[in-house]
Amino acid sequence: MNKLREYFHTDWSAMTLHDWIGLIITVGAFLAMVWIYARVFNPKNKERYESQRHIPFEEENTDSENRQ
Amino acid sequence: MEETKYDFDVIRWFTIMAVVYLVVGTLVGVYIASELAWPFLNFDIPYITFGRLRPVHTNAVIFAFGGCALFATSLYSAQRTGSTSLWSNKLAWFVFWGWNAIIVAAVITLPLGLNQSKEYAELEWPIDLAIAVVWLAWGLNLIMTIAKRKTSHIYVSNWFFMGMFVMITYLHVVNSLAIPVGLFKSYSLFSGVQDAMIQWWWGHNAVGFYLTAGFLGIMYYFVPKQANRPVFSYRLSVLHFWALMFGYVWLGAHHLQYTALPDWTGSLGAAVSLAMIIPSWGGAINGMMTLSGAWDKLRTDYILRFLIMSLAFYAMSTFEGPVMSSKTVNALSHYTDWTVGHVHSGALGWVGMVAAGALYHLVEKLWNTRMYSAKLVNAHFWTATIGTVIYITAMWVSGIMQGLMWRDYDEFGTLTYTFAESVAAMHPYYAMRAIGGALYWLGAIIMLYNVIMTVRQAATQRSTAAAAAA
Repeated sequence: MNKLREYFHTDWSAMTLHDWIGLIITVGAFLAMVWIYARVFNPKNKERYESQRHIPFEEENTDSENRQ
Repeated sequence: MEETKYDFDVIRWFTIMAVVYLVVGTLVGVYIASELAWPFLNFDIPYITFGRLRPVHTNAVIFAFGGCALFATSLYSAQRTGSTSLWSNKLAWFVFWGWNAIIVAAVITLPLGLNQSKEYAELEWPIDLAIAVVWLAWGLNLIMTIAKRKTSHIYVSNWFFMGMFVMITYLHVVNSLAIPVGLFKSYSLFSGVQDAMIQWWWGHNAVGFYLTAGFLGIMYYFVPKQANRPVFSYRLSVLHFWALMFGYVWLGAHHLQYTALPDWTGSLGAAVSLAMIIPSWGGAINGMMTLSGAWDKLRTDYILRFLIMSLAFYAMSTFEGPVMSSKTVNALSHYTDWTVGHVHSGALGWVGMVAAGALYHLVEKLWNTRMYSAKLVNAHFWTATIGTVIYITAMWVSGIMQGLMWRDYDEFGTLTYTFAESVAAMHPYYAMRAIGGALYWLGAIIMLYNVIMTVRQAATQRSTAAAAAA
């Protein structure tokens, strides 16, 4: 246990502004990913997401183009 | 509902130029591969030595071929998925001529030795500025086209294209920051280990966002369209997108294991690289499973074969890369041909094949006809596949042999082999690599011929139809 505590020991007073920015971005990115996973895999959202699969097939009958 | 009128002329030209640049870029690649096997081929002419032509090859295949393929597919699918025309057709033409002018500038300056010495960012500062302007023009046009879409949701392929745009913009600008000392000479704003870190932050993210995110945008539109089935899981595609966007930016440091870079940065790069296997494989499986229940299509649809084979190579190279980034494997693989083989399994197998599949699909749609010869599409598929396999197998064997020879000691602690001995041992594999590359190039020639004949066939069909109508 002591070894683990030593391994994770952080000298907070030595943290520079860049260290803090890096830490906040890293933890922020991690939390954002957790939020995205939870949102995407929430069964309530399944239908809303999966209904978008058909977008590429909703365009077929509008095929004319602007000619130069 | 009002009928949508699309802007396809500029897409047609991007499509044609992409195929032309595929032939040119791979030809230069075969030539420099041959120079490594048979060095007399540089004929003591400085302009065609390996060092001068290598960036011509990488710029031609990545930015000329890859760029034209990305511009064609992104501007086409943004119109199609949004049921709208381009925001500005004129701006798209500006991008076409601007991008091609940049390619011409690269072909002139690089053989002359005008080079920033930054890998995959060799072009000197005036051309870097031109790249930024043209790239921003494309991005603006793409975003504004998506903004004026008639659908409520932005389809996932457009997310990938926009993600690529945002990331490559700031990667290119930061990596290219330099102090000009003349029209053709500049010095990087960064120095020492910071320069190395910025270089590989750009270098790996050029792979991650340009050659991966951009081509995944292609995959998410063209695989479902060619298979005529919706993507297997839209939710998985959303996760794939965000995991890629959050994850890729951390990887660059794994290129600098065992260097002056702080040790922890390399470890972090390797750890995130390994974590990236999950979204990468999720995406590859998502693409492949789109064919679930309709695998028989692969027997008859040769264009679909390209797209699905590309996903197999994508899965393979996104497993191999993280393994190579770990310190234990990197101690053997770094600076060897294994890295070259890995890059080409991604470039030839993934990027080249998914782009070829999408371009064939585009040719049929844009010229409103079928390919001139389905057999030639199949011939291209097999030459490309066999060529890629020969290339990467040669480089695996060569790279692992190199690594083992370089670190072999005798009982006195002396290196067993000289560097020159390791170079001599590579010869058969370099010859094999040149053969694999030549096969891939042959496939590109077949594609160009088939595309030209298809365009001519379409013109004949149109004039016949017009005559019949009259």
